[in-house]
Amino acid sequence: MTHLVVLDCEAIQALRDPGHPKHRPVVSHAQVVASRKRRAVAIQMVVPTAVRVEAGWDRTSPAWVFPNRLRIADSPLDTASANTAAGIRDRTGVSVADSHLGAVIQSAPHSQITIVTSDPGDMRLVAGDKNITLTAI
Amino acid sequence: MERQTAIERLSELLDDDELETSNTSMRIPTALRDAAALAVSELGIAPSATALTTAALRATLEAVVMQAALDDHYERHPQASPDLGDLAIAAAELDGHPLAGQPERLRQAAAEITANHPGASPDDVLLWAEARALPTA
Repeated sequence: MTHLVVLDCEAIQALRDPGHPKHRPVVSHAQVVASRKRRAVAIQMVVPTAVRVEAGWDRTSPAWVFPNRLRIADSPLDTASANTAAGIRDRTGVSVADSHLGAVIQSAPHSQITIVTSDPGDMRLVAGDKNITLTAI
Repeated sequence: MERQTAIERLSELLDDDELETSNTSMRIPTALRDAAALAVSELGIAPSATALTTAALRATLEAVVMQAALDDHYERHPQASPDLGDLAIAAAELDGHPLAGQPERLRQAAAEITANHPGASPDDVLLWAEARALPTA
């Protein structure tokens, strides 16, 4: 069983800033992922690149050194996911970043998908028919 | 090499998607090698024993880098360091566990279990909280 953990914009911003009120909860999620990886559990954290843009996460900036080290993979906005995201945005009216996030969810082959988000309502909307777990921060 | 530099370099090497490969003369236990070959040929868990070994090594190194980054972060920002209750809540949320919506119950279970088992894991807490939630016969 493979587990995908997707972070939304606020989760990313909270992770970067130790003064953010949601920093500790998001770090807790990262810690659980790290501990499970250590036990050889197939689990991966990703950030859709449009979400990364919205959050201001420049991987070359020293300000983002902590998130950079947490092995959070980019999920790029390629041709296929751009098409899916465009459809989601057209249908739901959510932001470009959330549309990309929806495309990542809908195309993920993982058996378990968790979204760490400050907006569970929109995530439910963009997930379509996919069975997801929502972690509200 | 300083620890921080080593973590950075490890991260860079793990990010490098260069396809160049190297022959190694690594000695591994014969039984382990045979087990890997059998798992590949009979269970199809990876395209080859080499792919299986590489994936396992990558997963282990990623876990090591993540934990090193988190430990470093906790040292700099002790207030960001999650306690067992935080981790149990995060684990429940990531898995969509029924007790995820009852953080106080999980914190209580974490406090109880820590008293007798200082090395308890978040999953131990979930199990204990679940057992405590069962109706008594």
